[in-house]
Amino acid sequence: MNELREVARKLLAEGTVQVVIGYEEGPRGVRPAFITSAEQADKLVFDTRCVQNLAAYLNPRRKQVAQLGKAAVVVKGCDARSVAGMIREKQIERENIVLLAMRCGGVLQNPEKDTELTEETVSVRCAGCTAREPKLFDHLLGELPPAPPVNKSRMEQIAALEKMSMAERRSYWNEQLSRCIRCHACREACPMCFCVKCTAEKTQPQWIDPSSTLQANRAWQTMRVLHQAGRCVDCMECERACPEHLPLGLLARYVADAVERRFEYTASDDPSVAAPIGVYKSDDDEEFIR
Amino acid sequence: MTHDVRQGDRSAWSPKIVAFVCNWCTYTGADLAGTSRLKMEPNVRVIKLPCSSRVNPLFIIKAFERGADGVIVSGCHTGDCHYSTGNFHARRRFSILHDLLHFMGVDNDRVTFAWVSASEGNKWQEVVNETTARVKQLGPVAALEEKGGAR
Amino acid sequence: MTHKYLSHQGLAALVAELLSAGTRVIAPVRAKDDAGQIDYQLIASYEEAALGVRLPRRSLKEFFLPPTEVLLSYKQTKAGVEITDVPTVAPPQVILGAIPCDVAGLAVVDKVMNWDYRDELWFGRRDATTIVNLLCNIMDATCFCTAVGLGPESFTGSDVMLAPVEGGYLAYLITERGEALLKGHGEEAAADAIAHAEAARKEVRGKVEPNLAAVPAEFSTWLASNFDNPLWKTIALRCHGCGACAAVCPTCHCFDIVDEHISADEGVRRRNWDSCQTSLFTLHASGHNPRGSQSERFRQRIQHKFAIYPSRFGDLLCTGCGRCSRACPGGMDLPTIVSELVALSEAKPEVSGQ
Repeated sequence: MNELREVARKLLAEGTVQVVIGYEEGPRGVRPAFITSAEQADKLVFDTRCVQNLAAYLNPRRKQVAQLGKAAVVVKGCDARSVAGMIREKQIERENIVLLAMRCGGVLQNPEKDTELTEETVSVRCAGCTAREPKLFDHLLGELPPAPPVNKSRMEQIAALEKMSMAERRSYWNEQLSRCIRCHACREACPMCFCVKCTAEKTQPQWIDPSSTLQANRAWQTMRVLHQAGRCVDCMECERACPEHLPLGLLARYVADAVERRFEYTASDDPSVAAPIGVYKSDDDEEFIR
Repeated sequence: MTHDVRQGDRSAWSPKIVAFVCNWCTYTGADLAGTSRLKMEPNVRVIKLPCSSRVNPLFIIKAFERGADGVIVSGCHTGDCHYSTGNFHARRRFSILHDLLHFMGVDNDRVTFAWVSASEGNKWQEVVNETTARVKQLGPVAALEEKGGAR
Repeated sequence: MTHKYLSHQGLAALVAELLSAGTRVIAPVRAKDDAGQIDYQLIASYEEAALGVRLPRRSLKEFFLPPTEVLLSYKQTKAGVEITDVPTVAPPQVILGAIPCDVAGLAVVDKVMNWDYRDELWFGRRDATTIVNLLCNIMDATCFCTAVGLGPESFTGSDVMLAPVEGGYLAYLITERGEALLKGHGEEAAADAIAHAEAARKEVRGKVEPNLAAVPAEFSTWLASNFDNPLWKTIALRCHGCGACAAVCPTCHCFDIVDEHISADEGVRRRNWDSCQTSLFTLHASGHNPRGSQSERFRQRIQHKFAIYPSRFGDLLCTGCGRCSRACPGGMDLPTIVSELVALSEAKPEVSGQ
């Protein structure tokens, strides 16, 4: 943590960046911080409560952040993949950002409730993490903590859903999706949703009805998750933002697994690696095609 | 109004199937099936597109929303694409769509993906007849049709 | 105000009677997807109700202004367009055990719903509803109802308030409708039960008060004259603009109206929740957006709640429930922001917009 503060202080003092986007102690736990002067660098913290994917603030839609100037951003290995994604898709330029990458030992699922990492409390997205030591960085900081315990609950839930009959699965999703209120918080919180005009807002034709009917909700979530196929880094900000507590992380993980199974691709923190939708192999599986 | 028949007598029901086909192979193949006078179920409505890669997954979702009981998506065999690589890209997208529909409990048996070339009139006939038979077996798409409010 | 004593069995009998008469009863219940959470829901029996366990995740708003609802349906015929309005008379319902801030939220929103236009759908449901709230003792560090003129013991908007006493509840009969609901139920309240409940009402206030000092009346004026204060540029840096705050807010009531086709010649007009925190809310057809950045959108949220609404209707558009802070994925915390702004307003009361 001292190392992080030291680097942040230096970057701000030297004027390399105008803002360091990191984590600070807030009134209700850790919250995103926007440090604009070297004197404030000591506010920065990093620990298992830092669940937020700060790469979202580099998204060009966050104009209020962009106006602060060049940014350094604190990233975990998983967040670095979002940054790579935005560079890959020409949303940001590598040389315009400074990445303060933290070696990570996992984060909590509910930082407002728990403190210690156990099989129950560690974030489900940390299971199987291969990015605890980020590879995309300008400064690689901290000691590598031991690997976190594995929270299997999401994998088990996906497995249980796959075992169900088609009708049972449909009724599960109908119940979940009927709660969606189409506020689109899932989209707004997502680092990778940066379309200037979302399909959900196109009206000629109206691809997706704006009302929260089950049909339109299903169309919306299907479309959103498909647009994220091979781009989603499974940071679960969508699920965290959802005011209706939909299990959006299930869809994200399922699609990520499908992408991995079919295209041998996992979200990459190397911006030069092409995303799997947009490229192809001539021998891709086509068992579902007659 | 697409709903009335389904609420009543099932025997009066005959499925509506929408086919999104590419201009260069499948459409020509379907045309060949017609000019060859091959017998086919009359349930399929063909929508011609430049390429199978023009088929946005939303087309399929929208077709179900608007009362289609089945969907066929068909284009050139891989390697034969008029635009060289369109169907390779389409295949990637459809494979994820296929898996996701399965996971969300939307019956994949209602969707047929097929490569049909311009000379395969008989394959088109098979695709149409098989899909129609399968959708008839599955019945109306009622389960996806709820249009009421969320609460 | 009169009181009655209602034993647990007495309350159960009241609910059973209501349900058997076909009255809808809405109460806090354990959430289906997470047993540790509470949602307001229709109940089929008194046993389902989980009264006074913890703050419900969502407010009562959706029972009066659903996330989506049909306003009218239309059909093209040979004679012209046939329009059918939806009925505005709602079936009778009772809300049981709601927290006072959620109930107060309804009373606040009533004013805008009966402003330049009377919203018959809203009032159809309001008129059909009897509200029994429960003295709140489930506050947490995010609650600040006492700072916005309410309190965990507030009667605002309620017909009956229940305060837990030995063996059951003391019922405060606040309105005639409340009296009618309890007609034939409950017993005369003993003096010590009343004393106990009154003491509890004082006590619960004390649990919220330290969270945030009362918002001063001059704050609204200060906000209105500080529309161009540079502070707005940096106040919402961490805001994603997702609008989760508006979705869970008991007083955010903005909606969008859309026409949706069912078929070529038939369709419905619906209204759907909307939020000023999204860019689409103010986007013009020309492409221009008068609130082009999140800083401006968040300013709108604060201005509407603490300056615009009070200047029109007298009430703050906030009940201090704290849900926005709990729901925010970016860690925006309304009580902290309000206290910082209030401090600023008190430091420089003469600052004006020029």
